[in-house]
Amino acid sequence: MSEEAVVTHHLRLDPEDVGEQDAESLLDAIKSDLRYEEVIHGCLNCGVCSGSCPSHRFFDYSPRIVVQTVLSGDAQAVKDMMDEYIWACAQCYTCAMRCPFHNSPGGLVMIMREVAVWRGMEAVHRLLKPYGRVLLKVLSIGNQLTPDMIQPDFFPDWGPKIPWSSTDLAIKRKAIPVYTLQVTTSAWRVSPETSYELYTIYEETGVFRLIEQIDPNLYEVVSDMVEDLRDMIESSR
Amino acid sequence: MATSPISDKVRTSGWEFITKTVDKRAIMKAAPKDPREELAELEAKGEVKVIHITEENRPIEVETLLGRTKRIPTNKLWHHKSCGQCGNIPGYPTSIMWFMNKLGLEYLDETHQTSCTAWNYHGSGTSNLVALAAVAVRNWHRAYETGYFPLIHCGTSFGNYKEMRNLLIEHKDLRDEVRRIMNKVGRELVIPEEIVHYSEWLHVLRHQIAALKIHDVSSIITTVHPACHVWKLVPEDVIYDPNIYGGQRPAPTTAILLALGAQVADYSTWYDCCGFGFRHILTEREFSRSFSLERKIKVMVEEANSDVAITQDTGCTTTLDKNQWIGKAHGYNYELPVMADVQFAALAAGADPYKVVQIQWHTSAWEKLLDKMGVDWRTSKAEYEAYLEELKSGREPEQLYVPPVENLNLH
Repeated sequence: MSEEAVVTHHLRLDPEDVGEQDAESLLDAIKSDLRYEEVIHGCLNCGVCSGSCPSHRFFDYSPRIVVQTVLSGDAQAVKDMMDEYIWACAQCYTCAMRCPFHNSPGGLVMIMREVAVWRGMEAVHRLLKPYGRVLLKVLSIGNQLTPDMIQPDFFPDWGPKIPWSSTDLAIKRKAIPVYTLQVTTSAWRVSPETSYELYTIYEETGVFRLIEQIDPNLYEVVSDMVEDLRDMIESSR
Repeated sequence: MATSPISDKVRTSGWEFITKTVDKRAIMKAAPKDPREELAELEAKGEVKVIHITEENRPIEVETLLGRTKRIPTNKLWHHKSCGQCGNIPGYPTSIMWFMNKLGLEYLDETHQTSCTAWNYHGSGTSNLVALAAVAVRNWHRAYETGYFPLIHCGTSFGNYKEMRNLLIEHKDLRDEVRRIMNKVGRELVIPEEIVHYSEWLHVLRHQIAALKIHDVSSIITTVHPACHVWKLVPEDVIYDPNIYGGQRPAPTTAILLALGAQVADYSTWYDCCGFGFRHILTEREFSRSFSLERKIKVMVEEANSDVAITQDTGCTTTLDKNQWIGKAHGYNYELPVMADVQFAALAAGADPYKVVQIQWHTSAWEKLLDKMGVDWRTSKAEYEAYLEELKSGREPEQLYVPPVENLNLH
C-alpha cells in the first residue's frame, strides 16, 4: 500500500465490514485511524520499549517488532501479528513513557486490536471467549466488574478467602456503609435511565452491531435485556 | 579523509530518511501545547462547554511534570466510581467518603454513572474511540448538570478520560460525532477543565488527613506501586514534587505516606506494571501471577523488607493482592498486605477496619500489619460479625452517605 493511499483518517470502523480481512485493507484501517499519527512518530529500532516491556519478559512479544513491522508496510506480516502476537501486550504504556520519539507502541497495539475485532479475525473468537462475562456486564449495565463475578469456581487460584467473598454476598454488600454499593449484580446501583442512555451510545457507535456480528449468542442475551429496559423506561414516560 | 561515493550515498539517504521520515523529535523539543489553553479557545468560540473549577471547589494548586500548574478541586465533588473498586475492593471508595465526611467536605455519590468502559476496551478491543469518548462525555455531563466536579476514582478511567479530553480537543470531527450522540440522549458536549484522580485529591489534602492520624505508623515500611494508567498513559499533567524522589517520580501516594509518618522504601522494580494486563488477569492468568510475584511482591519483600504494598488504582490492588496465595505452589511464600493509599490512611486515622476500610475482602494476610499499627481488628471483626447477623434479621444498614435523591433527573 502506498502512503498516498492513506488520505483520510477514520473515527471508527464499520461493523458491516466484519469478514473483510484482506491484509492491505487491515493495514490501511490501522494507518488511517485517527490516533495513528499520534502514536507513531518514527522509530530508530533502539529497543528501549522492549527493554522495559513486562510482556517481553514472559512472552514471545516485543513492542519494537510491532512498530517496525507496521512501519515496514508488510501487510501480511502485520496481519499475522494481529492474529495472536499483539494480544500479549499488557497495555501498561511503559513503552510510551520511555520511547525517545514519544511513540506509543501500546497505543498502536490498541488500534490493531480494535481492527482485529471489528474485522472479526479468527483469533478474536478464541481470545474473547473467556471474556464473555465482562462483555455481558459492560454491555447490559455499563459496569465491567461486579461483586457476583468473584466466585471460587472462576478464581480457585486466588486462595481460600474467595469462598468467603461469595457467601452471604447480599448481606455483606449491605454491610458496606454506602447506599449505592449495597448491590450484588452491579458494582453500584446504576439507574435504568443511565443504562438507557448507554444503549443509545452503543447503538450509535456500532458496538451492538459488532457484537451481533462476532458473538450472536451474547448479542441475543444482551438485546433481550436492552428491549426489556427500554420497554420499562418508555412505558413509564 | 576521503569517503567512498557509496557510503556518502548511504549516509545521505539515511540522513534524509531520519530527518524527513523518522525523526520527529524536533517537535518534542517544545512541550506539547497545553490542552487546557486549547479548551479555553474552543469554549470562547462556543464550540464546547467547560466544567470549570470554581471557588466552591476550594482548589489547591500543584506542579506537574512539565512544570505547569494544575488545580485540584477538594470540595463539592461528584464521585466517578470505579467498577473494580466497588465490585471487589469496597473499602476503597468508602475510605474516600469517610475522609470527606471527617473533613466536612461536600460531595455527590449517585446512580447516574456508568463505568468508563476502558478496562473492557484495553482488554478486548470491543469498543471504539467514539464510544469511549461518548461514555466519558455522558458521565462528565451528568456531573456538570448536578453542579459537582467529577473526581475520578479509577486510574484507568483517569488515563482514558485524559486521552478522550485531548482527542476531543484536537479533533473537530470527533467532537461533532460525540455531540450528535449526546443530542440523542438529551445531553451536551462538556469537557472538564481538569481531569482529577482521587490520589491527587488525597495528595493535596495530605497534611489535613495526616492531622487525623491516631495510630503511630513510623515503624511501618511501605512500598509504593504507582499505577501505570495514572502516570504513564498521559504523563504530562501528573503531579511531581521536587521534595519527593527529587521530582523524578510521581508525588501522589508517596507524599501521603510520608505525611502520615510511615517509612517509604525504594525497590528496583518500582516502575514495572503490576501484571494486571486487562485481559491477562482473566485470560492469561499465569502471566499476571508470575509477573506480580516475581517483579513486584518478591522485590518489595526481599529488597525493601516491606510491611505493606501501597497502591493507587483498582487493577493493581486486585492483582498484587489476589495472586500471592497461588505462589506457594512454586515456593513464593510471601504474605505482603496490599491496600490503597486511602485505605492505609483511613486505618491510621482510626477508621473501623471492617465496617469502613472493609479489609476483610483483601486476600493477602493483613493481620500482622494491623497489629503492628496498633489497630484492634479483632474487636472490629467481632462487631462486624454481629452486625451481619443483625442485618440478616432485618436491621437497616448503617450509611456513611445516602444520595439526596436516588433518581435525580436534571436534563
